[in-house]
Amino acid sequence: MAEKKTQSFMRSLCMGEIEEDILLPFPKVSPTDRELLKGVLGSIDSLLKPHAKDFRAWDRAGEFPPGFVDELRQFGLFSLVIPESYGGMGMGSTAYSRTLQEIARYDGSVAVTVGAHSSIGMRGLLLFGTDEQKRRFMPRLATGELIAAFCLTEAGAGSDAAAIKTNAVRDGDDWVLNGEKLWITNGGMAGFFTVFAKTGAAGERGHMTTFIVTRDLKGVSTGPHEDKLGLRASSTTTVTFEDVRVPAANVLGEVGKGFKVAMKILNSGRTGLGGGCVGAMKELIALSAKQAKERVQFGQPVSSFGLVKQKLGHMVVECYATEAAVSVVAGLIDQGYEDYQVEAAISKVFASECLWRTADEALQIAAGNGYMCDFPYERKLRDARINRIFEGTNEILRLFIALTAMNDVGGQLKELANSLQGVFNDPIKGFGVLSEYALKRASLATGIKRAKGAFTKLPPSLAPQAALFEEATKDLATAADRILRKHGKNIIGKQFATKRLADIMTDLFVMACVLSRVASSIKDKGERGAAKELEIAQVFSGQARRRVKTHLSKIDDNDDELIKSLADHAFERDGYAWDTL
Amino acid sequence: MKILVTAKRVEDPESKIKVKPDGTGIVLEGLKYKINPFDEIAVEEALRLVAKFPGEVVVASVGGKEVQEQLRHALAMGATRAVWVNHTGPLDQMGIAALLQKVAEKEKPDLVILGKQSIDDDQNQIGQYLAEWLGWAQATFASKVESFESDAEKNKVPALTVSADVKTVRVVREVDGGLATVECQLPAVVTADLRLNMPRYASLPGIMKAKSKPIEELTPVGLGVDVTPKLTVTKMMAPPARKAGIKVPDVATLVQKLKTEAKVL
Repeated sequence: MAEKKTQSFMRSLCMGEIEEDILLPFPKVSPTDRELLKGVLGSIDSLLKPHAKDFRAWDRAGEFPPGFVDELRQFGLFSLVIPESYGGMGMGSTAYSRTLQEIARYDGSVAVTVGAHSSIGMRGLLLFGTDEQKRRFMPRLATGELIAAFCLTEAGAGSDAAAIKTNAVRDGDDWVLNGEKLWITNGGMAGFFTVFAKTGAAGERGHMTTFIVTRDLKGVSTGPHEDKLGLRASSTTTVTFEDVRVPAANVLGEVGKGFKVAMKILNSGRTGLGGGCVGAMKELIALSAKQAKERVQFGQPVSSFGLVKQKLGHMVVECYATEAAVSVVAGLIDQGYEDYQVEAAISKVFASECLWRTADEALQIAAGNGYMCDFPYERKLRDARINRIFEGTNEILRLFIALTAMNDVGGQLKELANSLQGVFNDPIKGFGVLSEYALKRASLATGIKRAKGAFTKLPPSLAPQAALFEEATKDLATAADRILRKHGKNIIGKQFATKRLADIMTDLFVMACVLSRVASSIKDKGERGAAKELEIAQVFSGQARRRVKTHLSKIDDNDDELIKSLADHAFERDGYAWDTL
Repeated sequence: MKILVTAKRVEDPESKIKVKPDGTGIVLEGLKYKINPFDEIAVEEALRLVAKFPGEVVVASVGGKEVQEQLRHALAMGATRAVWVNHTGPLDQMGIAALLQKVAEKEKPDLVILGKQSIDDDQNQIGQYLAEWLGWAQATFASKVESFESDAEKNKVPALTVSADVKTVRVVREVDGGLATVECQLPAVVTADLRLNMPRYASLPGIMKAKSKPIEELTPVGLGVDVTPKLTVTKMMAPPARKAGIKVPDVATLVQKLKTEAKVL
């Protein structure tokens, strides 16, 4: 078991192996947690429902009234992931993600306020804090007396986090911190900042350290409330540090390991964002269903028209798939798996893009009404947009997803190359390695049964979908192999190809999560009880299979270079070059 | 002051309730449940009273294991401890009242507060039976004079007026056409109407505290109550769909139609 926990489903899959035990059975909430969660969710409803009308006004105003934030504090919404021993709820990832889902049904600004605190703001303390640091801050973070903010981004360091300029210099027992952070969620009301600063020599990239900075320290200040597209009621500000003397006891984790700390925090917090996306999607589906049944055109409700059904049907499939993927990632974290960053990144990319499509189609179903501010669609659309940008843009995450996989495949190819060199010195050893790889490639190509090449624990009714998954798995291994052979070391610069691989991986992971979830429903409710879910599995698997095929075919047959050249053309001219005049 | 309150498990009013085609009951699949909203008001009133007259709030419910959810909800709101009468199977209002009577005799509270009715079958009988069988005073449909926007409501001031010596309670009752004020000797049974107060929500710290609060398990046999129903439900049906209304051009036509068609004038 212990050994198993170091494995990643997706990294194994890129080698052509389906480690089904990692995803099966679908993670379930324990009966005790279920009861606790029911109470929590019911209470959140009674807290937020009476404010349903206020959220629109607060979006307009661009801020929450202070009384409302106090209400959130008293309710205990800042205590979700804090251990019980420090006065918190002690929620694991599954319970936390489900809770954020419920909050996001009502309002994105509330969800991001709570999420920025729990998912990233104080997560560094949770993951890396010493007992002494936890004792000092956790109780006040639990009550919301201290609200937390995550301070990484700077004007010149967004996706390229290692480029930060904020720096800290050791001086006696303190570190002296200088710099400015940008777009900090909760900035205006936070009392606890997790700050990343350069601690290496000038010009040395990536040597950074994480500091706990509290607002009471001299030299900490925050800028005005930013005027944003969405999540307008939530607080976003700059945070400035001017000769702030931070006690050495406030260093979080090891000096110089700040980049790793930042990545671990972001990975660990992803299920909060995913849960928020699921909640918003569920709400949009409910709104759309009601809207479509009430709106009458051509003498019948628009819900009877095929093109409206097509939209709602896809919304349902994507919501189910997102929920499955987010739940699996949360389950992996709660079960103690250590290598889940690829899966977590996939769930973030997939969730945020499904939510965007859902918000867009929900607005389209409501059409003219959807465009009006009297209806909630435009606000939900604006609120949804940031999810594709923050906590790692989807572009950066796609590169991360694919490059991690290709590193592994590349490692194998390199081993092969090394042993090929040795073939002449030690033919027997060389032949062994060669034949193993050749065998794998042959089995991928011919479909000869191999170990872990198939699902064995899915119910028979999912056999056609399992077969699609296995075919697509072969395509993935082929794609990774072919892309690497084609581009070799240059792969870092081949973002089009990398994105294709990431998209294949995304489809495969989500499909596996859907199959796992439907399998568990069939087990619990029987095939009849899970009939609708089986339909979802059919739709998603079919779509995913077709997309994977398309991506695979585009590895060799594409217009990548033409597209790049046209972009360069626009860059040269600072815009579009033609006119019909 | 010791107060006994109830927490009945009822279908969430926001769930879609459908009657089974054969009329033997309602479709349970996909239903959500919550504490009877009138009971929630009773719990709130009890909590406000014990804040003024220190003591305890004991919450009781009857049903299978699942009613512990509603008991935990009341505990999370702030009730001190819970009594769970474990019973599955049919039960009518006489059975429930008899069980509550035994619980009240065992607990000896100064006051019993319960919802005026439960929103599942809206019978409005338990409080009345209970007071009669206990031989205690009763004040049904307790309401208050202040509005929900008043400072008293914001400060969670109790609407029931208990005398300083905890001997009597004064209750404003909602009656047809107005309010009536009655004063009862304690112990008494009070049933809560909708406008008595705005119940607090269970905060997350409250939910955590509730996890360790005791729930005492009792049974009808242990309490010596025969709960065999005297009442059986023979058939359930949904109310017939309302017919579409009509628009009339003027008052004269309306009067005419009320006379000739509706025959109410």
